Amino acid sequence: MIETTIPRGTPLPRIRPWLGIAAAASFVVASAMALFWAPTDAVQGDVYRILYVHVPLAWLAYLAFVVVLLASVAWLWTKRPFFDAVAVASAEIGVLFTGLFLVAGSIWAKPTWGVWWTWEPRLVTTAIMFVMYVGYLLLRGLSTDFSRRATRAAVFGIVAVIDVPIVHLSVLWANSLHQLPTVLRIAGSPALDTPMLVTLMVSLGAYTLVYAYFMSARVSLELARQGRLWTRT
Amino acid sequence: MIDRIALVAARELRAERRQPDGVVAAVTFIAVLVLLESLVVGPQIARDADVASALFWLALAFATILATMRSFDRELEDDALEGLVALPGGRDALFGGKVLSLAVVLVLVAAIGGLLSLVLLDLPVALPLHLLVVVLLGVVALPPIVVVDVVLALRLRARAALVPILALPVLVPQLVAATRGTSAALTGDALGALSWAGLLFAFAVVYTVVGLTIVPAAIE
Repeated sequence: MIETTIPRGTPLPRIRPWLGIAAAASFVVASAMALFWAPTDAVQGDVYRILYVHVPLAWLAYLAFVVVLLASVAWLWTKRPFFDAVAVASAEIGVLFTGLFLVAGSIWAKPTWGVWWTWEPRLVTTAIMFVMYVGYLLLRGLSTDFSRRATRAAVFGIVAVIDVPIVHLSVLWANSLHQLPTVLRIAGSPALDTPMLVTLMVSLGAYTLVYAYFMSARVSLELARQGRLWTRT
Repeated sequence: MIDRIALVAARELRAERRQPDGVVAAVTFIAVLVLLESLVVGPQIARDADVASALFWLALAFATILATMRSFDRELEDDALEGLVALPGGRDALFGGKVLSLAVVLVLVAAIGGLLSLVLLDLPVALPLHLLVVVLLGVVALPPIVVVDVVLALRLRARAALVPILALPVLVPQLVAATRGTSAALTGDALGALSWAGLLFAFAVVYTVVGLTIVPAAIE
């Protein structure tokens, strides 16, 4: 028998409203800090403030696809539909955030590099990651049988995750126009002024809460959909 | 395990020899692409080591997809897949055997496509041995991913469109490494060619191990 409801003891539906409130409140605080509290950059001026959107979106894209990997492994291991629901939810949200990450990067590139798009390793590898997970969703969409769809998607979810470190490290491996990592640096502490770093950390927290809220809603929807499918068949 | 993989690979190659439509299609395809791409960009640009290498590897990537899909189509037409999968260790052997036999087929396709590129574009080769190493390792690095993606798309509608969409983005690191390595061998950069060849070897090993670990779960 296949279990299609939320596992017993999962507090997902109960905490969702609180998660939504926390996500909205922290998002407002992070936006206010980014716009009014963080100092102006000496070189880029106010344009740099898009960093507080761009970097959290990149973090969420990475996080979402790593969650797809973990949920895919868990599905192959246990065959519990809950993990397939987590994988599809995270993949959809990851595609959304990767798309926004590319758009935010493009908006930042125009005033700083003079072009909307350039054939630069970080941009190209990110675009490839985006296409890869669109392919993941396409693969899911073309499969009709639940178990086969979940298994096929899980295998591809594991194979595709290799692009995440490639995207992150591409600026180190190739001559890149994109700036080098400023927070997670191999040597030394973050190369950011303290108020800028604090604002960035608050933004990362706020966006992570938004991801958690989206995940809880989408996982519940997917489990309900799986339940309907099994009732029909 | 190695015995079973060798058995499946030998069976594949025997089938390919008796009915060589996969090899013929892949060779014709790579020949057409090399000609077409060189005509489209013009002989001067096509003779550039970077451009010639990129065109060759892109053509070979598509030829790999074509040969792999044909190989699995043959299994489906003959209803042979179910029997193979039912054997003990059949799934691992199927993946390993397909990868091995496709690598052998691709050596032939790459040799013909490569010779065509060298002759038609009159390309000078500074380091022939290095070029051979890069091409051989590049040929070994392509099939594991393509076999994984063809297995995932097996019996799905729109499979012909889905396989390139799934495979090509994952193949980007291999294609970049193979292109750079080939270009380095053509222009006389020995260290560059060997470095890229090392990366190709690493990708081949990683994806073969990943494939052997997870693909059996996807074969139904």
